[in-house]
Amino acid sequence: MRASGPPVIRVDGVGIRFRRNRRGRRSFKDLFADSSRRSRPGEFWALQDVSFEVAAGEAIGVVGRNGQGKSTLLKLVAEVILPDTGTVSVDGGVAPLIEITGGFVADLSVRDNVYLTAGLHGMSKAEIDERFDEIIDFAEIAAFVDTPYKHLSSGMKVRIAFAVISRLDEPVILVDEVLAVGDKAFREKCYRRIEEMLADGRTLFLVSHNERDLTRFCERGLYLDGGRLVFDGPLAEALERYGSDHPPRPSA
Amino acid sequence: MSTALAERPRRSSSARYRQTLWLLTSRDLRVRYSTSALGYVWSILDPLVMAGIYYFVFQVVFHRSVGADPYIVFLLSGLLPWMWFNGAVSDSTRAFIREAKLVRSTKIPRTIWVFRLVGSKGIEFALSLPVLALFALLGQAELHWQVVFFPLAMVLQTVLVAGVGLIVAPLVVFFRDLERATKLALRFLFYASPIIYSTADLPESLHVLASFNPLSGIFGLYRAAFFPDQLDLLEVLVGAGMCVLLLGVGLAVFRSSERAVLKEI
Repeated sequence: MRASGPPVIRVDGVGIRFRRNRRGRRSFKDLFADSSRRSRPGEFWALQDVSFEVAAGEAIGVVGRNGQGKSTLLKLVAEVILPDTGTVSVDGGVAPLIEITGGFVADLSVRDNVYLTAGLHGMSKAEIDERFDEIIDFAEIAAFVDTPYKHLSSGMKVRIAFAVISRLDEPVILVDEVLAVGDKAFREKCYRRIEEMLADGRTLFLVSHNERDLTRFCERGLYLDGGRLVFDGPLAEALERYGSDHPPRPSA
Repeated sequence: MSTALAERPRRSSSARYRQTLWLLTSRDLRVRYSTSALGYVWSILDPLVMAGIYYFVFQVVFHRSVGADPYIVFLLSGLLPWMWFNGAVSDSTRAFIREAKLVRSTKIPRTIWVFRLVGSKGIEFALSLPVLALFALLGQAELHWQVVFFPLAMVLQTVLVAGVGLIVAPLVVFFRDLERATKLALRFLFYASPIIYSTADLPESLHVLASFNPLSGIFGLYRAAFFPDQLDLLEVLVGAGMCVLLLGVGLAVFRSSERAVLKEI
């Protein structure tokens, strides 16, 4: 079932390059020069000429080997990095489950952190008030609401972070392998939450190496190889292409 | 099917900008005040101790011939705004680096990372003003009508600090040395600005040069509340021009480097 309607994500001719070596020298001139005139020997294109559209309600899985630009693509859609060529436009907000614990401040209490992170993602105070108990319940840390964040166990940290971001009312959800954390029971809870969000009509953008996760949520697959979008179509086919290009090595 | 999603009213982007700016500004203050037992006292203790030192050195030891009486009021009226400038500029060297994780995971307008520092340091400055008032009372400094320039000085300083922060913050990401260079420049600027002295005490030949330091005009405006003769129109006009110029340069630098900054952190 392919949802119809106007696209919520539109990625058009997108390319982005990174420096090969992070310590490379960079001159002030580069900073001001027009991007097309720059000559940068030590750079490579992480993504090149990627175009696709996503309609509301679609669930998309991104497959490809490590270093083929999957996470970069996700970050571009989240608009936390900007492309060098082409445009990315996302209609409405995005709930990025990327580095979810990043916004939390060690010295502040869980309560303050929930208000801060949800607020940074555009929720008003009244909206957070309304959902606060729900968020804490979901994370199962009711006893630690006023504990400084730094004193939580790492499992709790991820739980509260997921609880906050997954309660954002944004129409697009981006997931980058975060589900690999937490114990089994909580992971299952996260999965169910994502399914609920999908049932709500949200759009999902999932990066994963786990075929089971991909087939559980997604119908459409994007297969990235060498920084290019080599296949865009039904997920099963994307996985097949991926599998035949890079056959799993027999374990030695 | 997406009724639940559609209900939520979309606030205007400027309202969101302000909300986010305030969130991060108040977070900075909350972190500062919740992690130290003395909290607020620290934001006034620092300028007080410094003022005490300079007072001792220049009033008691050197029998100064610069500035104006009462000297402690003269000192504080330059030192407190300097703390704002110094604090915001030196913190802006780490504006992105310290918040790298958050910058990488939220798409709020990037200028907020700098402006929140301008805001939180500015609020600390405002909170430290009672100290100035107290010493003005104790020293029986006369308050003149020129106190109306105080808000103007704050506006100019906001523009200045924002401009410098916008230049420094992104460039430090590429040139880490700039962090130390900035610290050094700030130390130099402390003595190059009329804080412990007044621009009127400078030799004639340096007057024009001093007016190109926007802090000269700004401190003059602050001080005019107690020392109307500290107000120099040339300094204020040139200083205001410099503030606007720096903000323009800052916005340009920030805009052109934003893309690269996001890749780098």
